[in-house]
Order: sequence, then structure tokens, then C-alpha cells
Amino acid sequence: MMVNGTVVALSRIQFAATALYHFLFVPLTLGLSFLLAAMETVYVTTGKPIYKDMARFWGKLLMINFALGVATGLTMEFQFGTNWSFYSGFVGDIFGAPLAIEGLMAFFMESTFIGLMVFGWERLSKGQHLAVTWLVAFGSNLSALWILVANSFMQNPRGAAFDPLTMRMQLTSFPQLIFNPDAQSKFVHTSVAGYVTAAIFVAGVSAYYMLHKRHVELAKRSFRMAALFGVLATIAVITLGDALGFVDARVQPTKLAAMEGLWKSEAAPMPFNLIAFPSQAQRRNVADVRVPYLLSLLVTHSLTGTVPGADALERQAVRRIKDGIPAVQALHVLARNPTDAAALAEFDAHRKDLGYGFLLERYAPDLNDATAAQLERAARDIIPPVAAVFWSFRVMVALGLLMLAYFVITVLYTLRNRIQRKTWLLKTAVWMIPVPFIANEAGWLVAELGRQPWTVFDVLPTWMSASTHSVAYMAFSLIGFVVLYSVFIAVEMYLMVRAIRLGPAEHGDAGGPGPQVRPSLSPRPLPAAPYGRRLEG
Amino acid sequence: MRTFLYFLLYMVIAVAVIFLAAVLGAHGAWYFAWLVGTAMIVLISAAGGALLDTQEEHAAQQAPAERDRS
Ligand code: HEM
Repeated sequence: MMVNGTVVALSRIQFAATALYHFLFVPLTLGLSFLLAAMETVYVTTGKPIYKDMARFWGKLLMINFALGVATGLTMEFQFGTNWSFYSGFVGDIFGAPLAIEGLMAFFMESTFIGLMVFGWERLSKGQHLAVTWLVAFGSNLSALWILVANSFMQNPRGAAFDPLTMRMQLTSFPQLIFNPDAQSKFVHTSVAGYVTAAIFVAGVSAYYMLHKRHVELAKRSFRMAALFGVLATIAVITLGDALGFVDARVQPTKLAAMEGLWKSEAAPMPFNLIAFPSQAQRRNVADVRVPYLLSLLVTHSLTGTVPGADALERQAVRRIKDGIPAVQALHVLARNPTDAAALAEFDAHRKDLGYGFLLERYAPDLNDATAAQLERAARDIIPPVAAVFWSFRVMVALGLLMLAYFVITVLYTLRNRIQRKTWLLKTAVWMIPVPFIANEAGWLVAELGRQPWTVFDVLPTWMSASTHSVAYMAFSLIGFVVLYSVFIAVEMYLMVRAIRLGPAEHGDAGGPGPQVRPSLSPRPLPAAPYGRRLEG
Repeated sequence: MRTFLYFLLYMVIAVAVIFLAAVLGAHGAWYFAWLVGTAMIVLISAAGGALLDTQEEHAAQQAPAERDRS
């Protein structure tokens, strides 16, 4: 049954909107939990109470963020069933397992330990509490791992095969699913993007305190730790971004072509479109600024490597669509008579292009009557919306480089313990807070818009995946979600700002005690200079 | 007995870590890099925090010295 195009579009917008809202919360949890682990590790090893104050204060912000993150994530899991029921039936055997593990990890392991972490300060020993904090950090990142494994399956379906008898995909290899190179690099890129987000957030809030001369000791230490955490995480996020691009070049060439605004295939070494204005209708860039050699270097790590442009990919798609037609036709026969051996043999001969046959079915419901124009139209569909992907990618990368420069400067000043005097840098730090959030959203736009026109790359087109709701139902639920999630964002902002305004004073630290004097029993270095001078007379 | 139990616990952890490293090293190089890299990032950040205390103590000791000198 053909799903109304508007319903598919509304289902996509609804998922995109809820995912983008949800991902405003997630990265902060992923990163802040490990920053807390670092702070508490210092507390347990040095015994200095200020690090306990730090862990408690930032832990409270983590708790607020976590609660809203879970609330916004919950509805997304249900959307697979409500709005994407065909998709869920088609790949549920594979997709369901990681999704369930993610749910279990987030709701049981992560939530339990986060509760222990926030409310267990007086009840657990120092060591036990530290272990709990580390478990929160691992728990939150490992629950993200599973949803990213599921997402990577959509980008590069490995470890599964379509079964024409059950009419759905089935898991063939769990290790292939989790060790998928796309899953690996995607998980690390996303997790580390969370570290960057938390580092910018902690540095920004600490800078705010230093600018207002409040909680200076706590802020100085938090800033220092965040800056070191952030500089390393930013280096890692860029490295993994490169690795992801490398994987994309092999498994999702259409996404890469869109990311790079590459309409025409070119000989090596390929130039890089630094700036371009892609026109989907004209299938070219209206204007561009190019850097010679750079694209070959970036995506193939060599000067002789090439990647195909949209033109070559569309030509290849025409061939694959033609090959996919018999697969779809055989499937229709098998739907009526699953024991038809000839249809089964025909299906097996063409199964690898089944998804491409589906692409054509959108325009030619009866594949026997498909025209050349319909075939060309279906082939054109394989190129995602280039301008949106191209610019989202540029925004993410540019912000990544900006954050790298920022962290290098902050590390320089904080290591010299001069950061509190650099008012301009402190002000910049506050203004930097939104930057990683924008980069994260841009990253998801690249990943998901770049996957179009597929929900499962090369296998299941988006147009087939949605549920058969009415337009009114979809519009109503979309508005409902947007309103509800906007309220969540407002609540988060209110609670965060209130907790930050209040500051860590609540925990008995009204500004930090200043450098702690070592306990008199521990060896104390003698101030050599005054003695020396006295002796010199 | 207590020491022995601790010994057993740490041995189990050590074997689990070696097993994990061997499997992840072979099949999931980026996952392995994440484990090692995360531990490194956390510890360097923690060391940075501890270093600040040392710097402040050092500065506090230098301050009277500066005062005496002037
Ligand atoms: C500066 C160099 C960077 C490069 C080369 C890069 C590369 C990429 C690529 C190729 C994707 C698409 C993945 C896919 O095909 O599914 C992606 C996604 C993403 N990026 Fe980046 N990225 C960079 C920086 C950043 C930064 C600084 C952040 C945030 C702090 C970030 C956050 C994300 C997120 C959240 C996603 C979506 C999830 C995923 O696919 O991993 N990226 N990035």
C-alpha cells in the first residue's frame, strides 16, 4: 500500500524534530559524567574537599540534564512503532535487540547509578561512591553505544539478510552488527563530541563565576580540568570525524558526494569545495571556492585516490534499479506463493538490488510499465539534499576547528594559572557554550539527511517505511511534540540557570576555601628562600 | 583472607581487561581506542586539577618570599 507523501514528510519532520531536541541533552550527559569521574578521582586521591564540592555541584547539573534527556528520549523509541511501523516490521529483528539493550542500560544501569551518585554521598564510602560515578559515566556512554550501533545498521546494514519467506530482514551475525566499522567510528565520534560539549559547558559556567568573582577556587579548578579534557576530546573528535568520512567514502558514496558538493566525477587529485552553493535542480554548484588536491587527501588519504560524483552514482543507480526490478517482481510472486521455486531463484539472483527496485516502485507501482523517465527520476532520488548536507557538514567542521583553537588558548592560560585575569577569554568562554550544541545538531543533519532516500541504506527506501496515518493525525502529533519538547527545553534552561545562579554554595562551599593548607602531619616543604636569606645575613 | 580476596578480585579484573583488550584490539580497534583514550583524557584532566593545587601552594610559598625580598 502506498503511503501518502505528506504523511511520510510529516513523519520525517517529527522524528527529526524530536531527535534534534533529544540530542540537545544527550551529549552533555555523555561528557559531563566522565568529567565528574575525573573530579571525584582527584577528590579521592588527594582528599581535598573542594573537589567533592565540584563533583556534587556539576553532578546536580548532570542530574537535571539526565532527567530531561530520558524524558525526551522515551518518546523516540515509541515513534518507531507508531510512525515507522513498516520499517519496524522490516528490520525489527535486528534493530530491536540493540534498542532494547539501550533501553535497559539507560533505565536500569544508568538511572540506578545516577540515583546512587547524587543521593549516595552520605551513605557510601569514598571508594564506593567513586566506583558509582565511573559506572554512571560508562553506563551512559554504553547505552549510547547501542543506539549508535542501531543507527549504524541503518547507514551500513551489516550482519543481516532479507528473508523472502518471512518478508523481513534477519540477523545473521551479531559480531558483524556491533563491530561494523561505521558503528565503531560513529560511537567514538559521538561519545567524544559529548566530551567536547561538556568541556565547553563546564568551562563556560566556570568562566561566568570567575567573571563575577564567585566560587573562584571551584571555578578555576573546574575550568582547568575542563580545558584539558576539552582539548584532548576536540583532537579526538576531529580524528574520528576523519575516520567517519573515510568510512562514508566507501559505504555511503552518495552521502559523501552531498557532503562535498560533488556533482561531477573528476580525476585525481580532486579539489575540495571549501565554499559552494549547490543547486539540486541544476545538478551543479552555482558558485564555488575550491582548494586544489585537498579532497583526494581528505577522503582517500592519498593524492591518487578518487571518489565518484553524483553523475556516476546516478548512472550506477540506473543499472541497479534495472537489476532490482526482477527482485521486487519475484517478491510479489513469493508473497502469494512462498513455495514458488522459480521466483525464489529469480529473487536470489537479484536480491542485492532489491532496495533499488523499491525506489522505482514509488513512481511506477506496476514495474512492468515503468518508463525511462520514471527510471531516471528514481535514480536521481539517490542523491540526498546536497545544499543542506554540504552546509551542515561545513558548520560542524568549522565549529570543530574553532573549538580546537579556543581550547589550545585556554589550556595555555589555565596551565599558567592566569585564566582568571584574562577577562576577554572568560567572556569568550561564556559565549562558546552554544557552539558544541550547534555542531552536534549539524552532525546529525549530515548523518541523517545524508542517508536519504533510505531508512536502511541501499535496502529500504524512506517512502516505504512510514505508517499509514492520516495527515491530520501526523500534523496534530507533530505540533504536540514540538510544544511539549519546547516546554522541556524551557524547563531545562530554567533549572540549569537557577542551579548555576545558586552555585555550589548549597554544599557548604561559599566561594571555595582557597588553597588548602596541607594537614600538619604530612611532610611540608620548607620555604627555603627566607631561611636562606636569613642565613646569608 | 581479606588480602587474598583483594588479590583474587584484582586478578579477575586484570584477566578481564586483557581479554577485552585482545578481543577489541582484533575486532573493534576504535572501541579499544575509545576505552584507552577516555581513561587517558580523564586522568590527564584529573592530573591538571591536582597540578593547580601544587601551583597554588608553590605560589603561596613564593609570595612571602617576594614580600621579604622587597
Ligand atoms: C572537525 C572535524 C569533523 C569532521 C571531519 C566530522 C565528520 C563527521 C561525519 C562525516 C559525520 C557523518 C557521519 C555519518 O555518516 O553518519 C559526522 C557526524 C556527527 N558529528 Fe562530526 N565531524 C567533525 C567535528 C564534529 C564536532 C566538533 C562535533 C561536536 C562537538 C561533531 C558531532 C557530530 C555528531 C553528533 C554527528 C552525528 C552522529 C554521528 O554520525 O556520529 N562533529 N561528523
